[in-house]
Amino acid sequence: MPSGLRLLVIKEIKDLLRDPKILVGIIIFPALLLPLMGAAISVSTGSTIEKAYGNLSIYVVDDDGGPLSQRLLEYFNANYVEIRQLAGPPESSLGLLSGGDVLLHIPEGFSSNITGGNWSGVVMYINFKDFSMVEFIKSGRVDQILNSFDTELVRQIVSEEVPGKDPNSILNPIRQDYRSIVKGEAFRLSPAVLQTTVQMQTLMGPIVIMLVLILAMQIAATSIAIEKEAKTLETLLTVPVSRMSILFGKLAGSVTVALMATVANVFAFTYYIGAVLGSTGAATGDLGEAGLKLIPSPEGYLILGLSIFGALISALAIALTLGTLAQDVRGAQSIIGIVIVPVFLPAIFMMMGDLSALPQAMQILLYLIPFTYPALASQALITGNYGMSLIGLAYMAFFTLAMLYIAAKIFSSERIMTARISFKAKKAD
Amino acid sequence: MPKIILVKDLVKEFSKRRAVNGISLEVEEGEIFGLIGPNGAGKTTTLRIIATIIKPTSGQVMVCGKDVAREASEVRRLISYLPEEAGAYQNLTGLEYLRFMASFYYGTEDEVKAALEEGIRISALGERLKEKSSAYSKGMKRRLQLARALMVKPKLAILDEPTSGLDVTHAFQLRRLIKEYAEKNRITVLLSSHNMLEVEKMCDRVAFINEGKVVESGHPDQLISKHGAETLEEAFMRVVGFA
Repeated sequence: MPSGLRLLVIKEIKDLLRDPKILVGIIIFPALLLPLMGAAISVSTGSTIEKAYGNLSIYVVDDDGGPLSQRLLEYFNANYVEIRQLAGPPESSLGLLSGGDVLLHIPEGFSSNITGGNWSGVVMYINFKDFSMVEFIKSGRVDQILNSFDTELVRQIVSEEVPGKDPNSILNPIRQDYRSIVKGEAFRLSPAVLQTTVQMQTLMGPIVIMLVLILAMQIAATSIAIEKEAKTLETLLTVPVSRMSILFGKLAGSVTVALMATVANVFAFTYYIGAVLGSTGAATGDLGEAGLKLIPSPEGYLILGLSIFGALISALAIALTLGTLAQDVRGAQSIIGIVIVPVFLPAIFMMMGDLSALPQAMQILLYLIPFTYPALASQALITGNYGMSLIGLAYMAFFTLAMLYIAAKIFSSERIMTARISFKAKKAD
Repeated sequence: MPKIILVKDLVKEFSKRRAVNGISLEVEEGEIFGLIGPNGAGKTTTLRIIATIIKPTSGQVMVCGKDVAREASEVRRLISYLPEEAGAYQNLTGLEYLRFMASFYYGTEDEVKAALEEGIRISALGERLKEKSSAYSKGMKRRLQLARALMVKPKLAILDEPTSGLDVTHAFQLRRLIKEYAEKNRITVLLSSHNMLEVEKMCDRVAFINEGKVVESGHPDQLISKHGAETLEEAFMRVVGFA
């Protein structure tokens, strides 16, 4: 590397990494945010399930006292639910209920109605205090046990009425079965189970990538504007070093910092996926039983890393090009404020729906935006469809070169000093 | 005396505005030459062209016999430019900044060290040089910049408003420093200023610039007596027709 360029690269890296906004904003923030979110999801899901399922007890007002109400209470006991019997009208006992507590009222005639071939109601009182997940899970579990008891009773009645027949065949003559086809292979899984796992994994990737891209663009664009404002660029343009060295020094410095941000992001994303997969153990358990492994491959992470890096370089090239046209920091920030719209677009479309379902013109527009490809690569981690991601890498390389060519043209002319995109009045002489 | 700067019929246009309108001047080796004029007269544009930052629309500008437009990289080895209100990199210490700038001019570590020692001496900032430049006062920043411009012992130092924004004491110290250092090292200085007293005290010769043209030039004392004035400021006002 020529000595002038080396000096500029070292200066640029030092200057950038010593800036707390950059160090925290694009390296430490994403490196901590994703693992923290993953850990939060893992811990909160785990503790919620533990709290909702462990030591569940319900209050019961049994005004029936017949054989079926006794059987129902035993059924609850058999499902590890402790029964606390109360007497009197249920409304008078509602004050006893804490958040998520359930009071079950079994009315008089419950047993006789059912054995006589009629239906009988039961009333569930659920006290919602803070509408937490635990409260909903508790009431859901009581509901589930009641439904299960109901099914058992129906089976018993059917087998008594139609002896010699399987009551399940009479009650459910049609049975649904699923074959979810993933990567060309059919797995015995319902789409609902698949959705639970995949959605959690693909949602966060585009959001974090978008945040990093926006920060990187702001840094690169304002770094030139800061040099213009502080007149350090004016000084640098008169020292014995080529203008191309100044441009590439700035790019290399930004790329180094961007590379650090990329590594931090990929590691953070890996941890996040691990944590999320662990917390959705029920769903992934079903996936495992069906023989489907959605753990991303090392190649997948490599392509994701390259796509994020490619998008960062493209973003930096755009930012540097536009940064050369801004006269001051405010001008640079305003320009980047407009340019970040195409950064948002792909992430929003990828989160809301399927790219291939969009009108063709919209699809072309999104494929022309280099920032679409990291979002595609984060989806490809799960789907394994790396085709578009690989094309995207080539496209991003072309896009970056074109942007750098424009930046080099501006840098080698006096437009670097005379360009005026500013919100301040022009200063004469 | 060899000519360090030769400017002939210099014109610079920005879009529809003509900032410099046919300036011609010559500066000899070892001279301190001042450009005097109001805001918008074309001083900074002229200095920027000589410093190779922008190119002339027409005319010729030579520094030590090198054309600033065609031989810009050779010219940059000979000059040192101090822009008005120039700052340093906020996250580098003063010492790191001086070393960074010195390294562009010299090939060996010994040469860089020698320039750095000179920079430390000129700046007179002592231990404060180990602090980030974001912690410096305006006066300290200007001393650092002047040290940066002079430590490489350029053939030509181009100083745009060198004492701009400084208080009386700092401005006095800086003027004395420039004059002594230039004389001692035979550095040619081209400076611009609004401050007539500053120019009168420091410069061997001056040029009055108004509306992009040199309207008068010569030794300050000669100009004062030629126009029957008591000060250079009064002489300038008479030349431009305001007195």
